[in-house]
Amino acid sequence: MSSSYDKCVRCGSCVKFCPLFDAVGEEQFSPRGKIYLLQIMDQIEDDPELAKEFRQLLFQCTLCGRCSEVCSSDVDLLKVWHEQRAKAVEMAPEEFDYLDALRNSLANVANIYGLDPEDRAIYWLDELEDDIPGLGDRVYEKGKTADTMVFLGCLMSFRGSQMDVLRSLFTMLEEVGEDYLVMGAEENCCGHPLYLMGDEKGAAELRQHNKSVIEDAQAKKVVTCCPGCLIQLREYHNLEKVEALHHTQFFDQKMASTPIYEQTEELAYHDPCELHRILGIKTEPRSLLKKLGVKYREMEASCCGGGGLLRMTDPGLSDIIIQARAAKEKLKDTVVVTACPSCREQLLASENRTKDIVELLADASKGGAE
Amino acid sequence: MKLRDIAIGANASMYYRMDFKKIRGVYYPKTEADVLAAIAFARENGYDVTPKGGGSGLSGACTGGDIDRIMMSSLQMTEMLAISKDMGYVDVQPGLTPDEINAVLEPMGMKLHVAPSSRDIATVGGILSTDGGGNDTWVNGTMRDNTIKVKMVTYDGRRLTVSHEGVKSDDSELEAELNNKGMTINDIASSHGTLGFITELKLFIRPLVNETLAGSLVEFPDYDALGQAVDEIIKRKSPIRYGETIVTAHPDVREGFNPPLLILQYPEGYDSELSEFVDVKKLDKEELKRMKDVRLKLPKRNPKKGVQFALFEGYGFHEESLRKMQSALDEIDALLQSHDLVPFAKYGHAPSKWYLGDNTAAYGIILHSREIRPEGKTGTELLQILLDIVERCESLGVTPKPEHKWPFDDKTKSARLSELRKIIGQGFNSFILDETCNGVLSSMV
Ligand SMILES: Cc1cc2nc3c(=O)[nH]c(=O)nc-3n(C[C@H](O)[C@H](O)[C@H](O)COP(=O)(O)OP(=O)(O)OC[C@H]3O[C@@H](n4cnc5c(N)ncnc54)[C@H](O)[C@@H]3O)c2cc1C
Repeated sequence: MSSSYDKCVRCGSCVKFCPLFDAVGEEQFSPRGKIYLLQIMDQIEDDPELAKEFRQLLFQCTLCGRCSEVCSSDVDLLKVWHEQRAKAVEMAPEEFDYLDALRNSLANVANIYGLDPEDRAIYWLDELEDDIPGLGDRVYEKGKTADTMVFLGCLMSFRGSQMDVLRSLFTMLEEVGEDYLVMGAEENCCGHPLYLMGDEKGAAELRQHNKSVIEDAQAKKVVTCCPGCLIQLREYHNLEKVEALHHTQFFDQKMASTPIYEQTEELAYHDPCELHRILGIKTEPRSLLKKLGVKYREMEASCCGGGGLLRMTDPGLSDIIIQARAAKEKLKDTVVVTACPSCREQLLASENRTKDIVELLADASKGGAE
Repeated sequence: MKLRDIAIGANASMYYRMDFKKIRGVYYPKTEADVLAAIAFARENGYDVTPKGGGSGLSGACTGGDIDRIMMSSLQMTEMLAISKDMGYVDVQPGLTPDEINAVLEPMGMKLHVAPSSRDIATVGGILSTDGGGNDTWVNGTMRDNTIKVKMVTYDGRRLTVSHEGVKSDDSELEAELNNKGMTINDIASSHGTLGFITELKLFIRPLVNETLAGSLVEFPDYDALGQAVDEIIKRKSPIRYGETIVTAHPDVREGFNPPLLILQYPEGYDSELSEFVDVKKLDKEELKRMKDVRLKLPKRNPKKGVQFALFEGYGFHEESLRKMQSALDEIDALLQSHDLVPFAKYGHAPSKWYLGDNTAAYGIILHSREIRPEGKTGTELLQILLDIVERCESLGVTPKPEHKWPFDDKTKSARLSELRKIIGQGFNSFILDETCNGVLSSMV
């Protein structure tokens, strides 16, 4: 059977959509360029330097999936990139030493920062307990049950820059009277970073624990703000009788209407790639924005540069992508509304202003924007 | 060697396996000065220069063959330099695509009216170099008809501005010599990068026409009926704003439609005249959109088993060969099948316009053709089939590759290019005019 990249007719429709090509402007960074290299691999694989360069090139990609979306030749490019990444790491693990710290953290403490797993519910609990009374009781312990399990993910559990989103998330869960628990110290990384480097075995080990906790808590739903975590929860955790939802889906279902957001700033909506392109969640974020009565402009459905581990594998390229994006979309006087902790980090790192949709919800419920 | 020296070979034609060691440099200039510097490097080292745009050309011309060469891509020359709505032009660098240009123009109510199906990647520099067109060429002409003038740089580093009237250059001697030869945009059109590197184009833009269009589907019992209907459209100068045909399609991608057929759009009310000579089936907005999409995606789709490829991407049916399309197509199909090539799809622009090698305009159907890639055929065998098709086309009065104007075969055009190259230098994309061209291409399949 021919591999699916053989079906690529190299028409080039993917080239100009690719954020990496946009950033660098050279063919080898484009999806067509990479597929072409695969198609003629027999001519280059004997050269160890070229083979090495190719393995590196595979990780210079945000896995945003735009190439798969525009391809009319039935090439599942995202699948090709995943398979090729796995192959590259397997063939030359020594070239990916720089990923070892991450891999070791995940193996040892089940989070991407190498921090004590007990600390998963420490930072934000300290910060938010006064604002949200009883939040401590919401942290899962064996024997506790709830309708909804909140899966925060590593970024939201450990990063101070996510605190406002967390505050808004918990505020809104209280507001809608949800019976919920947060996984806290019992949460493992969802496995997404390992999945992105093609380590299916490592990812599966992490998921197993999450699955048993969520099912032990008898949750009917698991809600996360992170599209990467949602890919893992929805597609790979094999959860039985548990619906995995993005927080925008959850609140859109729960709230037939919302208070109106008192808008004082110019807003633009950035669709996180993993949310709209890979998970197909497009209507709920917009439905919430509509209910909130906000006026916003749609940003190009293009990547922020933070996906596919690019921040780790080539931070310089990742910066170029977000800077180019910010300039092209004239973000200087705009607050970017989004719904992904990773996009948020990327936007903040390049000094853009950003709000998660749940922050708008919480502001509106509180009676107006600050 | 680095991967950038290899990935530059990525292109849509079947000629993509090359000897990468012969690529002596890869350049992505941003300015004319960068272009001049790259050409100087090539000249000093005796290398050829191969210009490349979007790499969507199907005749292998952007590969440079197997000469020691530098590859010069226009993909970073993407500035819109000036827009004059009042005077109806736009000045652009060569690496922009029609889609990119129109994304800026359309909000202003203006448009560049050149629409190849590949308009999301084909660059205006590349489109002029192949004199491409699209589904509206019948109304709006080919790329040359939409180009006012171009700036280009020759192998010896001289600069030219070429318009429909003639040539201007800082070098008065060169200017006089080229004007003596009557050089105009017609020569740049379809020159396949053999004359120099286009660094800037002044293109016609026109207002977006705000007319209400009706869409319809016309099905035909056979190819002759289709050809005669298009011939009639041409004679009547029918106001067809969009005209595409699907002549055959593999069952895997046929999606319930019934070729041969025409998908037409014209000003509301014109159907009464159209019904005088064809059976018109009106399409609502959604149906029309679907049909257009099916047509647009045909060159990119694949059968369930096997992969499509463009062995011979286009046939220009005009005059007698248009009116008697059935026998011409039957002969072509028989030829393909005798070489174990399974036809995958034939579709194209109808009515359309293209230019012959002597720059006279032809009107008819530009029919693109895709086959299923046969297992186990060598490059030499495939190229031989292709040459057989060219020969057959000539005997049938069909223009081979009307959109891509295969200079390797169009004797009039290649003689003219060779004549001009004697004046402006011989270092650009030379393999195309070399007698070994066919052999080189066959080694790259
Ligand atoms: C899916 C698909 C659909 C297509 N549909 C159509 C269609 O509807 N109509 C049509 O006409 N064609 C069509 N084509 C063919 C192709 O898109 C055209 O030939 C197009 O004009 C090529 O433009 P490019 O920028 O990709 O040029 P390339 O393929 O990169 O180059 C083509 C030629 O132009 C020369 N060149 C490029 N840039 C320059 C420059 N700056 N200076 C000098 N020479 C230069 C190159 O040397 C080469 O000889 C299609 C192709 C594909 C893959």
